[in-house]
Amino acid sequence: MHVIRVLFVAGLLLTLLLADAAAAPDGEALYVEHCAACHRLGGQGGIGLPLEAGKLANVSDDYLRKTVRVGRPGRVMPGFQRLSDAQVDAVVAFLRTQTATVERTFAEAPVPGDAARGEAVYVEHCQRCHGADGSGEGEGTGVTMSRERSFLVMPASISNRGFLASASDQMIRRSIVVGRKGSGMPAFGSGKLTDREIDDVVAYVRAFEIQAVEPEPLDADQRPTHVYESPYDFETTVENVKLALTGANFRIFPDRLLEQGLIDEFSVNTRQIGVRFCNFNVLYGMLKIEPRLGIVLPCRITIMEQPDGQVILVVPNLRVISRWFNNDELVGLWDRMEESFIEIIEEVTL
Amino acid sequence: MNRRIYRVLGALALLSMAGVAQADNMLMSRIEMRAEIVLEYVKSSIEEHGYAIAHLQLCDGGMKDFGYPSDVYRVVFFGKVEEVRKISADYPELVTYLPLKLAVIAEKDETLLTVLNPEALAPYYADEALQIQLGRWHNDLQSILDDVRRATAKRIAARQ
Repeated sequence: MHVIRVLFVAGLLLTLLLADAAAAPDGEALYVEHCAACHRLGGQGGIGLPLEAGKLANVSDDYLRKTVRVGRPGRVMPGFQRLSDAQVDAVVAFLRTQTATVERTFAEAPVPGDAARGEAVYVEHCQRCHGADGSGEGEGTGVTMSRERSFLVMPASISNRGFLASASDQMIRRSIVVGRKGSGMPAFGSGKLTDREIDDVVAYVRAFEIQAVEPEPLDADQRPTHVYESPYDFETTVENVKLALTGANFRIFPDRLLEQGLIDEFSVNTRQIGVRFCNFNVLYGMLKIEPRLGIVLPCRITIMEQPDGQVILVVPNLRVISRWFNNDELVGLWDRMEESFIEIIEEVTL
Repeated sequence: MNRRIYRVLGALALLSMAGVAQADNMLMSRIEMRAEIVLEYVKSSIEEHGYAIAHLQLCDGGMKDFGYPSDVYRVVFFGKVEEVRKISADYPELVTYLPLKLAVIAEKDETLLTVLNPEALAPYYADEALQIQLGRWHNDLQSILDDVRRATAKRIAARQ
């Protein structure tokens, strides 16, 4: 009887597995689930760049597939390694249907340009938007929505490892020739640049691949938070934290107990307090770079009295947290901010 | 014998769930509706999932007060007191991530919902009980986002 029950459950699970494998992936559903939050449902672009017909008509399906797979390291877009090939194909097919475009194929042959000559052309025609290092000028990514930025559509990072791994020379060449409608990228074909100049710029852009540096990985001992023991009692520690934060030019919000709002005020643990703080000027600048920061805001140092009387301070590790956003601009800023956090804690626990 | 059968069943169950599990560091959803309205759906869904709303952070109001204009930008803090108590006792270093937070970000007439995937913390801890808790939060957060998407889709469809 027991064996029959086990076999029945196993059969049920196998059926589910096989049914899942047999069902054709739904590209639209996958797009809504994985892409729409950043690129918007109609592909108009948000945190992510627009995926409109003007762009898609000039790229290959291979470029789209590779882009989905490898993403844009350090530029918000993750690489979707867990999707199956069929699922990636379904997303690409959905994009083709949505934009009413067909794949443009490109020859594999590299463009025979001269990167040294291309530098001068790049500096004159491309650098203003794409930056000297090709990483895209201006703060943030995607399309300006609720935050003011210097460009309506942020120029793409053409030195990004993910872009260069996805785009063939011939595809980059075509982008330069025909531009990107709606993004502000002009067309440099039709005599604006000669064929040789365009080839040279492609070679210059391709050379970014050699310069692309992988960010240093975090030390293995880095944890998502720091925990410090305070040599002082609870009240003194809380006061010290506030003084140190004020001295570091942070605005302090009213205290909040960790359990506050989750239980009635008479039952709440009053020996666990979050000192919340913010520098609005810094925050405003950071939100331009990374609009999703709210999920770790406001900055907070939690002070808790342990059952043995020891007071501890729990501080977010910004080096770890910033890397969850896949946003190199944020990582650079928060690595520096982490140092000021450590100074504050040293002052508090001195 | 029994142990082997259960191991096989466990492996099959894990395989059948693999298509659903996503270990992205954040969970996001876009709703074609204004943020002020979406916020109400979010609060309802959070409560329907058994969480209490601890408070609402008005980031846009704070920024505006200091001369930095912003569209609607709110953060909803929510949790279950028994979970917060257990975590603060067993893993005090994790209180930084409690209560849970969900950001409601206006992008013109659309709304972006974003939440940190608690499973981003999983690689730092080997403890099985904590892994289960992080997985449970992940499932709840994904379910909250899905419910909001479904509920608002009905309203959007009715509007058209």
